[in-house]
Amino acid sequence: MMDISKMRNIGISAHIDSGKTTLTERILYYCDKIHMIHEVKGKDGHGATMDYMELERERGITITSASTNVTWKEHTINIIDTPGHVDFTIEVERSLRVLDGAILVLCSVGGVQSQSITVDRQLRRYNVPFIAFVNKLDRTGANPYKVKEQIRDKLGHNAVLVQIPIGLEDKFQGVVDLIQMKALYFEGPNGDEVVEREIPAELQMEAEKRREELIDAASLFSDELAEAFLEGAETEAQIYQAIRKGVLSRKVIPVFMGSAYKNKGVQPLLDGVIHYLPNPSEVKNTALDLHDGEKEVELKADPKEPAVALAFKLEEGQYGQLTYIRIYQGMIRKGDELYNPRLRRKFKVGRLIRMHAHEMEDITEAVCGDIVALFGIDCASGDTFCHPSINYSMTSMYVPAPVISLAVFPKDKTSADQMAKALGRFTKEDPTFRTYVDPESNQTIIQGMGELHLDVYIERMKREYRAEVETGMPQVAYRETITQRADFDYTHKKQTGGAGQFGRVAGYMEPCEEKEYEFVNMIKGGVIPNEFIPSCDKGFQAARMKGTLIGFPVVNIRCVINDGSTHPVDSSDIAFQQAAIGAFRQAYEKAKPVILEPIMKVTVEGPSEFQGNIFGSLNQRRGIIVSSTEENNFCRIEAEVPLSEMFGYSTVLRSLTQGKAEFSMEFLKYGRVPHAIAEELKKAYQEKRRKEQK
Amino acid sequence: MVRKELIRRSPLRALEKSLKEPLQKGEIAIVASPKGIGKTGCLVHIATDSLLQNKQVIHVSFSTRTDHIISWYEDIFKEVARKLNAAMEVHDEIIRHRVIMSFNQEGIKTQQILRSLTAMIRDGNFAANLIMVDGYNFYLATPEDLRLIKEFAKEVGVSIWFSATVKPENEKIWNRDVPPSLKPFEELIDVLITLGEAEGNILIRLVKDRDSYPRKDLSIHLDPKTLMIVEDRS
Repeated sequence: MMDISKMRNIGISAHIDSGKTTLTERILYYCDKIHMIHEVKGKDGHGATMDYMELERERGITITSASTNVTWKEHTINIIDTPGHVDFTIEVERSLRVLDGAILVLCSVGGVQSQSITVDRQLRRYNVPFIAFVNKLDRTGANPYKVKEQIRDKLGHNAVLVQIPIGLEDKFQGVVDLIQMKALYFEGPNGDEVVEREIPAELQMEAEKRREELIDAASLFSDELAEAFLEGAETEAQIYQAIRKGVLSRKVIPVFMGSAYKNKGVQPLLDGVIHYLPNPSEVKNTALDLHDGEKEVELKADPKEPAVALAFKLEEGQYGQLTYIRIYQGMIRKGDELYNPRLRRKFKVGRLIRMHAHEMEDITEAVCGDIVALFGIDCASGDTFCHPSINYSMTSMYVPAPVISLAVFPKDKTSADQMAKALGRFTKEDPTFRTYVDPESNQTIIQGMGELHLDVYIERMKREYRAEVETGMPQVAYRETITQRADFDYTHKKQTGGAGQFGRVAGYMEPCEEKEYEFVNMIKGGVIPNEFIPSCDKGFQAARMKGTLIGFPVVNIRCVINDGSTHPVDSSDIAFQQAAIGAFRQAYEKAKPVILEPIMKVTVEGPSEFQGNIFGSLNQRRGIIVSSTEENNFCRIEAEVPLSEMFGYSTVLRSLTQGKAEFSMEFLKYGRVPHAIAEELKKAYQEKRRKEQK
Repeated sequence: MVRKELIRRSPLRALEKSLKEPLQKGEIAIVASPKGIGKTGCLVHIATDSLLQNKQVIHVSFSTRTDHIISWYEDIFKEVARKLNAAMEVHDEIIRHRVIMSFNQEGIKTQQILRSLTAMIRDGNFAANLIMVDGYNFYLATPEDLRLIKEFAKEVGVSIWFSATVKPENEKIWNRDVPPSLKPFEELIDVLITLGEAEGNILIRLVKDRDSYPRKDLSIHLDPKTLMIVEDRS
C-alpha cells in the first residue's frame, strides 16, 4: 500500500508567459525518465535510456490529462492541471480544491505582475501552501533577487531564498543550494545529471549571508533550530523541518530558481516539492454529513475509514468517460461498491486507472490522498462518492443560480441530435450550466454564469460535437422583490356544480434579507387544518415563481399566515393552494415590488495609457468604479457593473485598447434596477404579454 | 437619527467653525504628523462626512492594496452611522460616490497622477468634489509639484486634503509651527493641521488658516481607539 507521507498533489500556478508549460514538461521528463530507467534497467540494462529519449523526442511530452502521476525519489506526485484563466468559476474552484500545494512560477525578468497577483489571490482564497520558482534566469535582465523582493512587497509574503544563482543571463550556469551549501550544475544533453561542486569562491560570502537570512526566517518555526544555530550546530534536517512548518502555515515562501528551458534548476525544485509541500494527511479536509443536516465533518486520511472521494473532472476519451477522483478518506478497490449521494445510487467500481504522462495504468486499489480515474461511471463533476455506510457530500448541494440565459437553435436535424448530446454532457460536467426547453416558446434555453461562460459551451458544441447552432439574444436573469410589509386576507371560493372549493388565508408578506423564500406558519387553534398548511406554502411558492412586474421569480420574501377559515366539505389541497396564490397577488402590489438585476464584480487590467477609455466604458455601462490601482504603467480597475450592460464588452474593450486589456467578471449580488430602466422592462413585459394573448 | 441631524452634529462642524471658512474649490489642506498617529483615519472621517453630504470623493493612496482602505471606510462608516436610520441604504448610496485610486510605483510623477485623476473625472464621468491624498511624500516632491496639483484643483473645481508624514525627531512640529519639511510648500497650503500626542490624547492643532497662523489647539481631538475626530466635552 502506498505511504501517504510520500504523496504530493500539486498544481503549477503561473501567469501567461512565465514558462509554465516548459516547466511542466521538464518536470514530467525528469520524473518519468527516472521512472523509466528504473523499470527498464532490469530487463535491458544499457541503451534503454537512449531508446526512450528518441521516443520522447518524437512524441514530445505534454500534459493532456486533468491529473498526471509522476514519481520523484520514491514519492508519488500528482500534477493537477489548473485552468489558465482567472475567472472565478466552478472549474477553478474544483482544481484548487483537490491540490494540497502549489508551485508559483514567476518570470525572472517580468517578476510579480498583475496576473501573478490574481493567481496569488486564488491560492490565498483556498489557503494553499506554495513554494516559488523564479524561471528564465537565462534571459536578459534576469534578477531573482528583485523578484524575491517583489513577492515580499507586492504579494505580502515572507519570501526567502533557498538558492542563489551562479551567473545570470547568458552566463547562467547553476544554483547554490543554501541549505547544503553546495553548488549545483546540470550536466548532460538534457541537464539530467545534477552535479554537486564546491561553491565558487566569489559567491561564498553572498551564500553565507543569504543562508543566514534563510535560517533567521526558518528559526521562527523551530526553537530547536534557533538554539542549534546560535551554537553553530544546525543540521540540514532541522532547517528542512523548520521551513516546512513555515510553508504549511503559509508564513514562509522558499524561493527556488532556474531556467526550465535551459534544463537548469528543475530537479532541486522537485526536491523542494517533497521537502516543503504538504502530504495529503497534513491538509484538513471536510465533508458535509447529509444524514446530519449538512453538518461539517472532518475527513481522516486513514485507509481504514469508510471511503470518501470527490469527482473533480470528467473527460470524454477514446474509450468512454473518464472520471477523475481525489480520494480523501479510506481506500477504493476495484470491484468495490460506492454510493453517490446526489443520485442516491450505488455503483460498482469497474476499472481503476492511474494516468501517467504517456500511458494509463490499471490498478487494483488506491488509498486516501491519491488521485485516480474511473471508467464509465455515470456521474457529474463535483459529485461525491462514498462508502455505502455513510452519506457524505464534499460540496454543498447548493449551486449558485445562473444569471444569464440564451436561446440556442440547431441548424438541422443532425445538429439537433448532436446538440442534445452535447448539452447532456455539459450539464453533467458543470452544475452552473443548465438547460431546459421553454414551454411557451418551445426554444432550447441554456443558462450559466456569464456571457463568456456560455460562449465556451457554444464553441465546444461546434468544435467537439459538430453541432451547428445559432443563438438568440442573451437574457438576464432578473428577480423581483418587495420593499415593505403588506397584509393579505383572501378567500378562494368556487361553487359551480359538483364539489366546491373553499379556503381563506390571512397574514402578511415582508422582506426577508437572509433567505430567498421563507414560509412561516403562525396559525393558532387550527383555523386552517394542519393538512392544508403545506398547500398554502405550495401556493405561495407557485405564485412567487412569476412576479407580476416582469414575470421573474420573487426573492427575499417571507410569507406569514396567521389566520384563515375552512369549510368542512369544500376545503382541499387545491383550494388552499389557490387561496395562497390569490393572497400573494393581493398583497404583492401593496408591498411595493421592485426589480433586481445581477451585478457583476468586473476587473479590467491593461496599460495605464488606456485608463481613460476603460473608465469611460465602465461608466457608460452604469458601472461603479470601486478602485483603480496603477503600477508600472499597468492599471487594474475594479468595478461593479450590471450584467445586462456587459454584453459584448470583450469586443468593445478590445477595440478601445488595441487588444491590450483584458477583463474578468464574477457574480457579486443582486441590485435594484434604476427607476427609468425598470419602467422600460415593465413596458416590454406587458407588450410581450399582450402579443402572447392575441 | 436622520442624515441631516447626523451631519449637523458631526464633530467636523467644529473643525469647519474653527476655520475662517470651509475648504473651497481649488484649495489645499494638509494634515501632518509623524507616522502612526492617525492621519488616515482622520482623512477617511473627513471623506465620509462629505460623502454623507452627497459629495463625491476620490481617495488617492500609494499602497498596492486597496482592500485595507476600503476597510477603513467600512469601519468609520459603521462608527458614524451607528445612530443613523436605514444605515445600509445610505451606505450603498454613498459608496457609489467614492472611488479609490492607488498608485504603487516608486517615484511616480505628479503629472501621471493628475492624468489618471483627469481620466477618472472626465472619462469616468466622476464629478469629484473632494480628493483625499493619503501618504503623499513631501520629502520627494517639489513646490512645483504642489503648484501643478493646485492648478489642477482649481481647473476641475475640487478641494484637496493631503496627509503628510513628518519625521518627529528633527522637527519641532509641536511648537505649533509649520514642520520644516513642509516649509517649502507653505505658500501653496491653505489650511495646515497637525496631530500630536499629549498625555495619551491625540491633539489637533490648527497651524495655518489661509493668511493667518492661529497656532492653536482646537476644541476637537482624535479618538485614540477609532482614530476619528471627536469633540472635546468641556
